[in-house]
Amino acid sequence: MAADEPASAARAAGATARRVTLQFEDGIEKEIEVGADEFVLDAALRQGIALVHQCRSGSCSTCVGRVVSGSIEMVHGRALSLLAAEIAEGARLLCSSHARAPSVVRLQYPSSLIYGDERRNFEARLTGVEWPVPSVAKLAIAVDRRTSISFNAGQYVRIKVPGTEQWRSYSMCSTPRELPKMEFLVRIIPGGVMSEFLRRAQPGERLEVEGPLGAFILHPGKGLHVFVAGGTGLAPILAMIDEIRRASGPKPKMLLSFGCASDANFFYRDEIELRQWWIPQLEVRLSADRVDDPASALLQGTPVDALGAESVNDADASAYLCGPPPMIEAARRRLAEMGIPAERIYAERFVAS
Amino acid sequence: MSDGQRGSGAISSRRQYAPYLEADWGFKNTWYPALFCSELGENGIKGVTIAGHDIVLRRSRGRAYALRDRCAHRGVKLSLRPMCLTEDTLSCWYHGFTYALEDGLLKTIVASPDDPLIGKTRIRTYPVVERAGIIFVFVGDEDYAPLPTLEADLPIRITDDDNPVPHILDDQVYVRGIHRTGNSNWRLAAENGFDPGHLLIHWDNQIVAATDRKLALGVEPVSEGAIRIIDEPDGPKGIMNMYNTRTYRFIMENKAVNMRARGRNAYYARTSMVLPGILLVEHWPIPGWAQYEWYVPTDDRHHEYWEILVGHCRSEDERREADYLYDSFLEPLALRDFNDNDLFAREAMQNFYEREDGWNNESLCAFDAATVTWRKVAARYNRGIQEPPDSASRR
Repeated sequence: MAADEPASAARAAGATARRVTLQFEDGIEKEIEVGADEFVLDAALRQGIALVHQCRSGSCSTCVGRVVSGSIEMVHGRALSLLAAEIAEGARLLCSSHARAPSVVRLQYPSSLIYGDERRNFEARLTGVEWPVPSVAKLAIAVDRRTSISFNAGQYVRIKVPGTEQWRSYSMCSTPRELPKMEFLVRIIPGGVMSEFLRRAQPGERLEVEGPLGAFILHPGKGLHVFVAGGTGLAPILAMIDEIRRASGPKPKMLLSFGCASDANFFYRDEIELRQWWIPQLEVRLSADRVDDPASALLQGTPVDALGAESVNDADASAYLCGPPPMIEAARRRLAEMGIPAERIYAERFVAS
Repeated sequence: MSDGQRGSGAISSRRQYAPYLEADWGFKNTWYPALFCSELGENGIKGVTIAGHDIVLRRSRGRAYALRDRCAHRGVKLSLRPMCLTEDTLSCWYHGFTYALEDGLLKTIVASPDDPLIGKTRIRTYPVVERAGIIFVFVGDEDYAPLPTLEADLPIRITDDDNPVPHILDDQVYVRGIHRTGNSNWRLAAENGFDPGHLLIHWDNQIVAATDRKLALGVEPVSEGAIRIIDEPDGPKGIMNMYNTRTYRFIMENKAVNMRARGRNAYYARTSMVLPGILLVEHWPIPGWAQYEWYVPTDDRHHEYWEILVGHCRSEDERREADYLYDSFLEPLALRDFNDNDLFAREAMQNFYEREDGWNNESLCAFDAATVTWRKVAARYNRGIQEPPDSASRR
């Protein structure tokens, strides 16, 4: 993680400060002054508004906001993780953006999700590692009973890999109802520090955890919910589907399109079939980029291909995407063609590390 | 991809019905019987608890209303000391918070008539329908819409029978019964209701001897079609044991213990179970009659056991005869003596399931296929799992 120094408060104040209005999903608005050389996120933090964020270096995309009016410009020279198409639609990483004019920025989460004063670190105990396929591990941890943490389905935490100084980010595939248990899907990368750790991990091992993080959460809506997941991007999507199953009231119609790289490492088919049984409103499409065994009955192609060419006749439809950046970019295009407005497409990108 | 290639292995049937195991407090967003109409006379007030919801019922100008049995002020139960000061309200006996029956809005406070709270606060109401002499209350989320019909939460109407038993909502029916408290989780009660292997507890019951019924020692599903899935569009969901077909084997003798079915009158009618846990036994206790049972969850370890008999009744003469039969035979021998044994068995299971995680430690056998199928169907088609009351107030 790159360590960028926040702009100092002294530098921030001054005649060149711009007023930026932050609009939250629940209708709450907050106003901040952003100095000429100051990043919008830093200004918000300085003024006591702990917007959802994590890396502060333009790589994690957690702090994304959408410009409604005015002018917010992202700096050059940072490894910025937004796609050109997203920037064209007004998306900005607030950790790496300056205000060039009085502006209004919309955030895709309610004001209740603003972080508390402190970023929360807590300890947990490793309770098990399972291997659905050799390239994916399911990591289960138990939070200490004296720790009172909660989260929203879809959020993630950072876990410090024991024996190293390295932190890795993982979305929970379990729901808050299952606390103190938390579960994650980890993509195994040869030589990766977490991958190497999981191979030798023993139950009972202590883990340092930070979170919850992220603004990838469910948004109220009775319309069709389209979920598109690639690989271990299934984790937060599963948590969301399980959360909807347990939530009160009638369930929305749901469409899950899930894909893996090949049929040989396709995982969690049985878990998905379980959800199909539990939730009559859930339709599922399963795919793999490479299908060697026709008996697998997987669709050949990406989970975006599997959405097909039909359009969504539902003015209240929304979509949740999680997977590698190219999948998200393709899914955004496809869903826009299908008639789902950009502001109701929520995404979390997974980058292997 | 074959099963063998799936790293996580086959999913156990326990996982398949996992949502059913979450339903300690019952299923919500469903119609449950609350009281017999005759138990709530004009201006009567009674409190009941269903799936953790404390509900106060009041009858005014003939109509039954259901409201949350908790005063908004200090949380006392309104039903503890019934107080009605007008026809269209219900008052709290403590400080006189007075609520409209129609929508639960606070109309006045006896001790504070100009209070700013008046007209601003309310207690929730529950939808009510009265049919077949029973007050049904829709228990669950306050904003649940659209409301399912009562028919969707009742046993199916039997049509595929030479002499079909009546449906409780038919016009010309005789409906009577009892309800009493069962000291077990509602699921243990429901599963006992249609359990094909439990006939042993009825082996020596009075009604079996009195009707010279040839009661099998047990019945065992042996082929496809033994258990029919009930999946009516917008209607009841559940299972039916097809005892009237050859898909079941009737165990008449067990040589290992030298037991043999007694009696001469052998015929076997079907049992079915639909959400949220309603039993229908066709042609029981006697041909042409039907027994309905509800196991209405009170909390996670008690249920209200409803036993209702439904018979054809086309005239006042038939009604008089049915009354005689019910009072002198059907209630004492069937609803009491026979079902006392069921209640005993359900309560006997409670300890193991409550204290020793019976749901994960039971050892089911061949005839429990019906139980497992019911659990799966219930896991899929329920309209929501009732949270315990404490978690509801925390949210």
